[in-house]
Amino acid sequence: MCTDKLAIGLGKTVAVAVILVWSLFPITFILMSSFKPGQDIFAVPPKFVFSPTIQHYVELWNGWGVFFGGLLNSTIITAGATVLAITTSTAAGYVYSRYSSRMLNASVMFLIIVRLIPPIVVTLPLFPIINAIGLNDTHIVLMVLYATFFVSLGTVLMRTFIDQIPRELDEAAQIDGAGRLTILRRVIVPLAAPGILAVAVFVVVFAWNEFLFAFIFTATRAKTAPLVISEMIGSIDGVDWGVLFAASTVQLIPVLLFVIFMNRYLVAGLTAGATKG
Amino acid sequence: MSDKVFTNITRRGFLGTSLGGAAMLAAGPSFAVGKTLNVLSHKVHQTVLGSGSGDGDLLKDWRTGNDAEIVWTTFDSNPLQDRLFREASLNTTDFNVGYIVDNRPTKQIAAMFEPLDSYLEKDAIEDFGDIAPGLVQGMTVDGKLIGIPVRHATQGLFYNEALLEEQGISAPPTTLEELVEQAQKLTFTSKAGTPVAGMVLASDLAVFPVMFARAFGGDFINAKFELLPNPEAMEKGLTVLRKMFESGALPRSYATTKNDDQVTWLQQGRAAFTVLPFARNAQLNNKEQSKFPGKIKAIEFPISSDLKGKVPMSSIVEAWGMVIPANSKDKELSWKFIKEVSSKRVTLGMARNGNGPVRVSTYADQSFVNNPVAAVEAEVLKNARGAFPPFPEAARAQSIFLEEVQLAVLGRKEIKEAVASIATRVKPLLQA
Amino acid sequence: MRLNKITEALPFLAPVQILILSVIVIPSLYVVWLSLNASSFGQSATFVGLDNYIRVLTDPAFLLALGNTVLIVIFAVHLELALGLGMALLFASGLPFRRVLLVAVLAPYAVSEVIAVAMWRFLFDPDVGPVTAMLTWLGLPMLDWSFEPSHALIMIGLLTIWLHLPFTFIILYAARLAIPKDLYEAARIDGATAFDAFRRVTIPLLGPAIVVALLFRYIFAFRIFSEVWLMTQGGPARSTEVVAVYLYQEAFSFNAFGTAAATAWIMVLASLLLATGYVFLLRKQVAGNVH
Repeated sequence: MCTDKLAIGLGKTVAVAVILVWSLFPITFILMSSFKPGQDIFAVPPKFVFSPTIQHYVELWNGWGVFFGGLLNSTIITAGATVLAITTSTAAGYVYSRYSSRMLNASVMFLIIVRLIPPIVVTLPLFPIINAIGLNDTHIVLMVLYATFFVSLGTVLMRTFIDQIPRELDEAAQIDGAGRLTILRRVIVPLAAPGILAVAVFVVVFAWNEFLFAFIFTATRAKTAPLVISEMIGSIDGVDWGVLFAASTVQLIPVLLFVIFMNRYLVAGLTAGATKG
Repeated sequence: MSDKVFTNITRRGFLGTSLGGAAMLAAGPSFAVGKTLNVLSHKVHQTVLGSGSGDGDLLKDWRTGNDAEIVWTTFDSNPLQDRLFREASLNTTDFNVGYIVDNRPTKQIAAMFEPLDSYLEKDAIEDFGDIAPGLVQGMTVDGKLIGIPVRHATQGLFYNEALLEEQGISAPPTTLEELVEQAQKLTFTSKAGTPVAGMVLASDLAVFPVMFARAFGGDFINAKFELLPNPEAMEKGLTVLRKMFESGALPRSYATTKNDDQVTWLQQGRAAFTVLPFARNAQLNNKEQSKFPGKIKAIEFPISSDLKGKVPMSSIVEAWGMVIPANSKDKELSWKFIKEVSSKRVTLGMARNGNGPVRVSTYADQSFVNNPVAAVEAEVLKNARGAFPPFPEAARAQSIFLEEVQLAVLGRKEIKEAVASIATRVKPLLQA
Repeated sequence: MRLNKITEALPFLAPVQILILSVIVIPSLYVVWLSLNASSFGQSATFVGLDNYIRVLTDPAFLLALGNTVLIVIFAVHLELALGLGMALLFASGLPFRRVLLVAVLAPYAVSEVIAVAMWRFLFDPDVGPVTAMLTWLGLPMLDWSFEPSHALIMIGLLTIWLHLPFTFIILYAARLAIPKDLYEAARIDGATAFDAFRRVTIPLLGPAIVVALLFRYIFAFRIFSEVWLMTQGGPARSTEVVAVYLYQEAFSFNAFGTAAATAWIMVLASLLLATGYVFLLRKQVAGNVH
């Protein structure tokens, strides 16, 4: 009995160790390598003890000004997409939660089916259209695209969260003479905050990291950080891996911290999103 | 409405708003000037101008004189052309100047770029007649000059003399057969402990297989648009590549090797031979980047023993031109840039940094004549021609060609079969 | 619900519907028109009927890309499900520092595809990669992804699993936590072994969550682009291309908008087909929510 428990404990420890290595090794290795002196990056066997240097960050700063422009663009676009996605899906989620009709149910189905269309499909027609209305290479294009590909999930999520808010609260506010918009702002939004944060996590992570749309719809002015990094991968001269790792670290750290701090909302959102929408 | 708001937000605009972190960005060197000139090019075009290297920056005075910053966006050759044409097809593009390779401008493509004859008339380039007329011809489509030649790249064979000596080889190869033999010998682990591959070649450019076919008197598509004029020669060329791959003389990562990798591998002593433009000589022997400065030499790519002395080797020459997309803004600034880059001073400076100069006079300049490969290159250039001529489906044709070549070299397809399949698959594209 | 209330609600619904219609639905319908024409830069469209579809469906490169995509969907998604399920059960069986471990497992979710590819390309670099070095040191064969198409596909599959495992894991873990403890208690009293309990309680009750996780991942794995594009660009010899990369090549490298559009619609139809089961399940749920 005792040995059994020991064996199970040991098995679990090994399993947990494997899981940790699998999840964290690639990330930590890249973060570490960004502080390694050039020749240590390629050392075989890999060095885990080394004298850290910020030389790659200095090179990044001096040689890749465009990367920091990309970070700024990423920040603007992520913020814009998140605000757009949250406001629109909260409003729609509210209606879907409080009303119901054949039409509305059909339109929920429609939202869900639309999610099935692969994003690359719309790049083809949108490319000339966006160009024709002069929006190519602007922040707004990416904001709208990123928000749109998450509003259907966002709406369904918000409906699920708003469903949990008792209707009596709306009704009480209504009796006090509040209009729909006031009810949404004063009653629903504060109570549905966890849902809003869950939607925010999805959109922020997606918009911050997205590659395909940024690759196709931006050129210079709205170029995002992942795109600049992909160009670094393409034009690397062998010895520049350190700079690439430095850039990767700078791009990764904010979103990694964000996911760590928001992990509760992410889990809640994933769970609700998967089962309801 | 909202579109205006956002398009007007530039990096500079944001600085004024004292946004968090803006102070940090302001410290960056590239934020403090008036105009921006966006250039779309290959990395090498930027490197030869010495940009970012302080005193070596050939355009430093131009930038201060015009109060303009040059922002480079660089891609590898094929993606670069895709991107350039896509940008030029838009209503407007932010790219003021693009670099185009001479086998791409067809009628349809040329129509997307500004005809430059009138610019030349109004505001002439210094001693334009000095720029090689053949190169100017290559940038002329339907009688209109659409690009100003900026670089020519004549392919030569580079070898690492130190590694050759280490394996007891005293002279570089004079025939293709010798090259293969030496490459086999040079597939070893060097004294420094580096595993060396005999030869490194990128697999995503038609240049290399075409060179091997030409060593046997063949070609892919010649100037008269004949597809595989001598299929047996192509088969022989691919057989050589395949044998080299099988014996490890071409590295196992052949299929993912890129143009830039060739430079790195040679600099690091990881490969003994490669095929690159002669102009890369300076970069390959650069003291800061290369482990073998002064030891990397270049010769003409050798022809097969059967043809040696009977016909000259026809190496590949590619030329790059600078174009102005017809839909771009501030074309005056673009032209000023092109004018400056084409000047005698900058052409010479770029040549010293490893650019194939487009001006005849550069070859007469003492400081360039001392360049050890200039004479060899001039000799090779006499018989050199492009990898294939421009036609509308050239991109797809090249892609099919490379796909079949890779299959053949990696041993996944019989060589005869691959060559036959190039013929049947590319033929309809030429007729279209 | 009365009609006047619906009209009152419209302003709240409109933004979402307008976004979706203008960015996704109408452009997708325009793709249908594109797919029935042949067009390129500086060349006006000519109607060619179903010609583009025939061209794509008979192009060996497309069929290979489709085959690769299906392989990735089948192998990567199922392996991911098995791993996710194992991890969910491990977590549910009680672990110390569960919250910390959970966050560690979630970490790859934050990583951009671009950076993930940079990481993995470096770790598995045939010449200098630390993982390659480790494998060689252990006497194991290395992942020869730059040469062997099958190895490249394995590499892409592993990368996809790495990026998406957090998603599958969370769905299954949440579903596992939702199973009432008494059920296991009852099974134990009835003398069931741990394996019996797994087979009779866990699996049936996790069923819906498993189906949802699977279908989600089928649909998302089917559109895989960035991982392949950044890792191999479809090479060597177009042997690792997937459908989305094929589409990109047709559209943006060869400027053949007609065949690209046809590929796009083939993708949409395939996704819809994959999802019919999913939609069927959801319809029940939506109906359930009405009450």
